[in-house]
Amino acid sequence: MPHQENIRLMAHLMRRAGFGDTREELEERVSKGYEAVVEELLYPERQPAIDDELLYRVFPGYEGAGAPAINQANWVFRMINTKRPLEEKMALFWHQLFATSNSKVDNPLELTRQIAIFREYGLGTYRDLLVEVAKSPAMIFWLDNQGNRDGAINENWGRELLELFSLGVGNYSEDDIREAARAFTGWTIAPKIPRNPYGRFPWLFDYKPEDHDDREKTFLGYTGNFNGEDIVDIIADQPATARFLARHLYRFFVADEPHVASWNITPPVDPEAIELLADAYNESRGDIRSILRALFNSEFFKNARFARVKSPAELIVGTVRMAGNYEGFKPGFNNLALECGWQGQELLNPPSVEGWHTGSEWIDPGVLMRRVNFAARIFGDISLPGVQAIVKRVLVNVHMHGDSSPRAIVEACLDAMGLLEVNEATHSELIAHAEKCGDLAWSTHEEFRATMHNVSKILTLIAASREYQFA
Amino acid sequence: MLTTVAAGRVYDYSYCIGMYSQAGWGFWAPQDFVLGSNGRMYVLSRGVEQLGQRVTKINFDHEFQGQFGSVGEEDGRFVWPRSIDLDRTGRVFVSDEYLNRVTIYSEEGSYRYHWGRSGSGDGQLNGPSGIAFDSRGTVWVVDSLNHRVQSFSQIGEFQSKFGKRGGGDGDLEMPWGICIDRQDNIYVADWGNNRVQKFAPTGELLVKFEGSSTGVGSLKGPSGVAVDSDGDVYVTDWGNHRVQIYAADGQYITALVGDAQEPSPWAQTYIDANPDIIKARRRTDLEPEWRFRRPVAVNVDADDRIIVLESYHHRLQIYNKLKDYEEPSINL
Repeated sequence: MPHQENIRLMAHLMRRAGFGDTREELEERVSKGYEAVVEELLYPERQPAIDDELLYRVFPGYEGAGAPAINQANWVFRMINTKRPLEEKMALFWHQLFATSNSKVDNPLELTRQIAIFREYGLGTYRDLLVEVAKSPAMIFWLDNQGNRDGAINENWGRELLELFSLGVGNYSEDDIREAARAFTGWTIAPKIPRNPYGRFPWLFDYKPEDHDDREKTFLGYTGNFNGEDIVDIIADQPATARFLARHLYRFFVADEPHVASWNITPPVDPEAIELLADAYNESRGDIRSILRALFNSEFFKNARFARVKSPAELIVGTVRMAGNYEGFKPGFNNLALECGWQGQELLNPPSVEGWHTGSEWIDPGVLMRRVNFAARIFGDISLPGVQAIVKRVLVNVHMHGDSSPRAIVEACLDAMGLLEVNEATHSELIAHAEKCGDLAWSTHEEFRATMHNVSKILTLIAASREYQFA
Repeated sequence: MLTTVAAGRVYDYSYCIGMYSQAGWGFWAPQDFVLGSNGRMYVLSRGVEQLGQRVTKINFDHEFQGQFGSVGEEDGRFVWPRSIDLDRTGRVFVSDEYLNRVTIYSEEGSYRYHWGRSGSGDGQLNGPSGIAFDSRGTVWVVDSLNHRVQSFSQIGEFQSKFGKRGGGDGDLEMPWGICIDRQDNIYVADWGNNRVQKFAPTGELLVKFEGSSTGVGSLKGPSGVAVDSDGDVYVTDWGNHRVQIYAADGQYITALVGDAQEPSPWAQTYIDANPDIIKARRRTDLEPEWRFRRPVAVNVDADDRIIVLESYHHRLQIYNKLKDYEEPSINL
């Protein structure tokens, strides 16, 4: 495969399995080979984790923070600065699937702890993850399982477990919901020290045997004195769970799909891909890492460039990562977190248990303007280290090839932004703009400044393009 | 234990001051404090992002005496305030890790001037953390991200430096807090090396405080240090949520873990105003609230009271070092 095509494919992988890479990072990854990079991504524990002790030394107010924006900032910091991009991307995926919202939980610290569960268990088996989520105090409170007691069943958790977290509508009965709920009676939260006057204290999972219904249950055709973990064991072995999770993974990593609420009436856009992923689930007994390996190495993934609208978090984190203006510690991560919310994705506060409506639903005219303005403002700031690096790469490229035609300048800009591919109409408009800028020159300081400025204007137009808004 | 007896020393818990607040009564992620005259203390709150940064003036009787400073890069403001100390005239010096400067205020908090330049050359700063004065009025600044300690005149003229990055004797790794004893020896909380090192004013290493090879008396990310009139050394063991106490020669003595079973009057006012909070507190084990969580700075006053500042719990806990303690009979 030609080198440029390898770069394009790696850029695609890193937009999906991470938050995008700079041109220099892509070169480094390509030198390792595609499959090797996939393996590297699949084992995040081989890369250094964010140093929590250092993070909380610099940002002591992040630790145990009560404010939603600060907990969001804590996560945005990690998304930008992680050496484990797939770990954070999976946390975002699971946050979408197990959507738990601060609007009801009113405990951002506990939601941050739930995100940590996603980091720790997000590439293990689905069974283990489901058990941890079932014990997550944020989830218990979100779906009312603290009120689920023997003789006073609350079916909320049992229903969503089957409908939204595993089997999907049409693959279970109302009786199964009730029996699942019975099995989770007694799974509750221990009373915690209330918030303030000395900060926040964690919630802890508590199992109360006196509230548990230990009588016989029949669930999905199986009969026994089931407890919650038994129910998860049965669920995790169901072919419907494999297909359901496969479709979620396809929707998040491959291409936009309809919202989960309509899956029982809308077939997948690529049934063969879903089958392949479901097979990987079944063969590995629900090992998420194995499914993702099959996904990232598949042809349907490699051919799905720019088939997904970036979520606000992907757009914002990817942009500032490329611009390099939030690398390491600095004030203002809460502003980026707030920007995610203003663009329609308030982290830790999804709109409902069904998560965000994605794809084209991320975009409305107002939000589109905000997304474009955000990215354009960043790439128009030539004081930012990443923007400077891109502009310098453009100038070196143009100089090396001895071609400073508008077409060559546009190609160099697209190359420097990670070999971004744009459609013909966008390409023509970029060239038309480059023609207005005139020749690039850098004989004097003034010429150099003007050239930097002109190149950054092309970058802002690229950031406003349809392709930049897609992953 | 409210009373800790170890190696001939007795530490008796007294009371606590403070609570969480974004302004006024209370502190927010406080990082350092200093004892002034007439029982006044200045507590430096780091806040978070663009909120809560300030210096709070209080006394030992829980009296709020005002606050000064706020977030910003303009004169008299700070972004990442880390450490605070007073010169002999009572002027207040505050280090700012983000702006790489030290800002000077009057005793009541009026801005006077600031100094400090970013960089790694002599007299330049990168993440100035702990600050302390010696008996001659020289300002010693822990230049954390340059992994060294520098001394300055009170108007910021560079005087000397010691330390370099590393893990060997005398080396430093992202050092944090500092204190200076009556002989002008310098104690540095060597955060990244999990130890405190005591240096002569010339920079010569004198003693290391890091516990034994078995782990007894060990430290994890120490942040602050203080010395009492007997020469005993107190270290806020930030990563282990305790205060470690050592003899002057480095021998480990004991630990304090926090004992604030009774809320401060400020905190009690908050609790009393919230009936549901009162009920919720009665149904759970409150011990995690008493204990230290991120003890970050420690000072010893003229009466050998040991005062510990907690970042996570936004308060001060006060212990007395008793000299005339008589043990009750063990068979009571």
